[in-house]
Amino acid sequence: MVPALFLLAFLAIPLASLGREIISPGTAGYLLDPLPWRVAGLAAGQALVSTALALAIGLPMANVLTRYRFPGRRWALALATVPFVLPTVVVALAFRALLGGSLGSGFAIVVLAHAYLNLAVVVRIVGARWVTIDPRMELTARSLGAGPWTAFRTVTLSALRPAIASAAAIVFVFSFTSLGVVLLIGDSSTRTLESLVLRQTSILLDFQAAAVSAAIQAVVVGSVLVWAARQRALQRGGSARPMRSIRPHGRARWAVGAVAVVAAVIVLAPVLALVWASLRSSSGWTLAWWSGLFGPNTIDAGSTRIGSPLSAMARSLIFALATGLVAALVGGLAAVSVLTGRIGRAFAIATALPLGISAATLGLGTLLAYGRPPLDLRATGLLVPIAHALIAVPLVVAVATPTLRATDPRLVTVAANLGARPTRAWWTGYGPAMRTVMVAAGGLACAVSLGEFGAASFLARADGPTVPLVIARLLGRPGEASFGVAAALAVVLVIMTTTLVAAVDRGGRRT
Amino acid sequence: MKRIPARFAVVLSASALALAACSSDSATEPETEATTDGPVTVQLLTHDSFALSEDVIAEFEDTSGIDIELVSGGDAGSMVAGAILAAGAPTADVMFGVDNTLITRALDEGVFEPYTSPEAESLRPDLADQTFDGLVTPIDFGDVCINIDDTWFEAEGIAPPTTLEDLADPTYSGLLVVQDPGTSSPGLAFLLSTVARYGDEWPDYWQRLKDNDVAVAGSWSDAYYGDFTFGGGGDRPIVVSYATSPPAEIVYAEGEPPETVSTSSMDDGCYRQIEYAGILAGSDNVEAAQQVVDWLLSVPVQEDIPLNMFVFPARADIPLPEVFTEFAGQVEDPEQLPADYVAENVEGLLTEWGSVMGR
Repeated sequence: MVPALFLLAFLAIPLASLGREIISPGTAGYLLDPLPWRVAGLAAGQALVSTALALAIGLPMANVLTRYRFPGRRWALALATVPFVLPTVVVALAFRALLGGSLGSGFAIVVLAHAYLNLAVVVRIVGARWVTIDPRMELTARSLGAGPWTAFRTVTLSALRPAIASAAAIVFVFSFTSLGVVLLIGDSSTRTLESLVLRQTSILLDFQAAAVSAAIQAVVVGSVLVWAARQRALQRGGSARPMRSIRPHGRARWAVGAVAVVAAVIVLAPVLALVWASLRSSSGWTLAWWSGLFGPNTIDAGSTRIGSPLSAMARSLIFALATGLVAALVGGLAAVSVLTGRIGRAFAIATALPLGISAATLGLGTLLAYGRPPLDLRATGLLVPIAHALIAVPLVVAVATPTLRATDPRLVTVAANLGARPTRAWWTGYGPAMRTVMVAAGGLACAVSLGEFGAASFLARADGPTVPLVIARLLGRPGEASFGVAAALAVVLVIMTTTLVAAVDRGGRRT
Repeated sequence: MKRIPARFAVVLSASALALAACSSDSATEPETEATTDGPVTVQLLTHDSFALSEDVIAEFEDTSGIDIELVSGGDAGSMVAGAILAAGAPTADVMFGVDNTLITRALDEGVFEPYTSPEAESLRPDLADQTFDGLVTPIDFGDVCINIDDTWFEAEGIAPPTTLEDLADPTYSGLLVVQDPGTSSPGLAFLLSTVARYGDEWPDYWQRLKDNDVAVAGSWSDAYYGDFTFGGGGDRPIVVSYATSPPAEIVYAEGEPPETVSTSSMDDGCYRQIEYAGILAGSDNVEAAQQVVDWLLSVPVQEDIPLNMFVFPARADIPLPEVFTEFAGQVEDPEQLPADYVAENVEGLLTEWGSVMGR
């Protein structure tokens, strides 16, 4: 099994290498320390609110973007992925710029930022399922006398429930394990175990305490994922094939338009703030920051300070494509194994574990396992895409499973009865669904890679940074040019993501 | 670009070696090792803020026959954590950038192999004895200082603060932003500076800062670009930053460097961070690694350090660039705490700071 070997090599072995250096009989004693438990409680409360907010904004967006036909829909869908990849520091600063000092730092702004960052998770996962629900079913319910709300609730919502559970679980996990947002704009009310682990490893150098915090986090995340898997297993029904999208008319037209506009404002506001910052200097409008990226005198040319922005873009793009490919393959196979029974289901949950393991833990473990003799893989440039694929695989599984489960297995039987060979029969039954979900998932995986910071900061070569690393380096020092070029580069990252995700979507539809 | 194509590099270093072989028959030349198995690669583990000019690195690679591979360890703390976990079987040959708040643990865990560079004779007198029994070599230092937006104070007609005491004065109520010491390296340095200054009374000083409406940001970027009046759209004209932030404002301005800058660094209450390099115990390339440590302390690198990393060179004989002499804070008497005191007490300090500040 490819996914099993992949997980063993790049998850189990690194964690074991880390564990071997850390765990001792005394470690268990740290479980009595109330601190990690208190932080876990705080993080859980924060993550619940973040999840509720992300669903409240994301579900209407998923509906409009995946079910209705309107001009520019494909780009709108790609654009909805943007928040997911914006470097946290960029989102944090954009939010502060937009909301002024009114929210400052703390609970409210952290929760908003989490909801914003995770919109794409809701839209993609729920959207992938929503397109396969036949809108005529709801109409049928209406014609049988159900009111619009009842029809929606009994038909659509109940078919969506597994996908919503999947999405909610992932948003919860991301918010529960959030690091960047919490460090940048959080306060004591928004601490996470992840930030505790960071403090314990890199300031206090207390690795045993860190191991205990990380373990508590992994247990909480594991439980949430098991819950989501149960929810997914509860229901079936619906069609495997994407439905034709609807052209909205009448009142629906206004509703769709309103949601689309509100969604565009929410998604685009921070982006526009960035565009504005990339064109402004203390002396007025300027193109200096953009020529700092592309012009003859790129920023810090001749120094290893920042590294060439153009080669960082090329590198990020290659990493993203490699991640998309590996994640779609490994995640897709893992999702298929869900269909094969109890062991398969347990395995699919295992593939989701990287979600609960911090980027720092993963980065350190990978470094210990594959960053020194006898096996030093850093020079190959493979470690970053592998780590990114690990982070993306759970998303692929979450996107793929609800839809695959909804596929009627009798289709395979029918095809087999009609004389198709087993593989052929399987493809006849699951092929169309596979294609839809792999494309949605592959796009999401590319986006993960483009925006990922934590693991890359351990595993990228110092003279080979990715775009988010370059942005972080720029924002880590004073000076107008540092901020301006960082803003311009963040805009480039948005464009790269939108284009790449739209291209993946389009390519997927065509085949 | 950064890397010379491999084949070209081999030719280059081979000819350099041939030259070296002709010109010198001294047995102490480590190149003799290189002649047997081609160019040696030394992995240099650094943190996110490491930077040098590409031609300074290329020059060294050409003349020494040593290829330098820069390996990133994340931020300084994560890098040291990684080095401690890998102690004895390191992920690189040389580590650069471990500072005096983190070094004790690294020393205790046996991360380093002793080496005293001949270049160490040129160290500034105040750094000469900072080698922890010859295990590491100071390479540079920087001061975490209060930065002030002078334009803001001029416009308001208020005299800017000059001492730590001033920051607690009601005149400056609501004007200061600091970073959380639990998540930010300059934030921790500022806390340590208050501990060094006030001793056991430091919680009382922080209580006064709190009463004076100090703001606490999660990170340097958030404080500087979010809260500071000069860096961005913030409303606080006093921020914890570095003595070299004003010159950086000049170097990284738009277009032609401006003649002057509207921020300055306050000389009182600065905390000194010293960055060290050391050979990682278990390295297979000890001789080449020693040459890299020598090189980090050599004149070309030391001259290159200020404008690349915005810190001060550890050698005594390096003239500073003009933007440094004019605009950087020249701290005569920085606050410092013994490295082992910091290692032993940092957890307690952070906890107590949290309870004073209600965080």
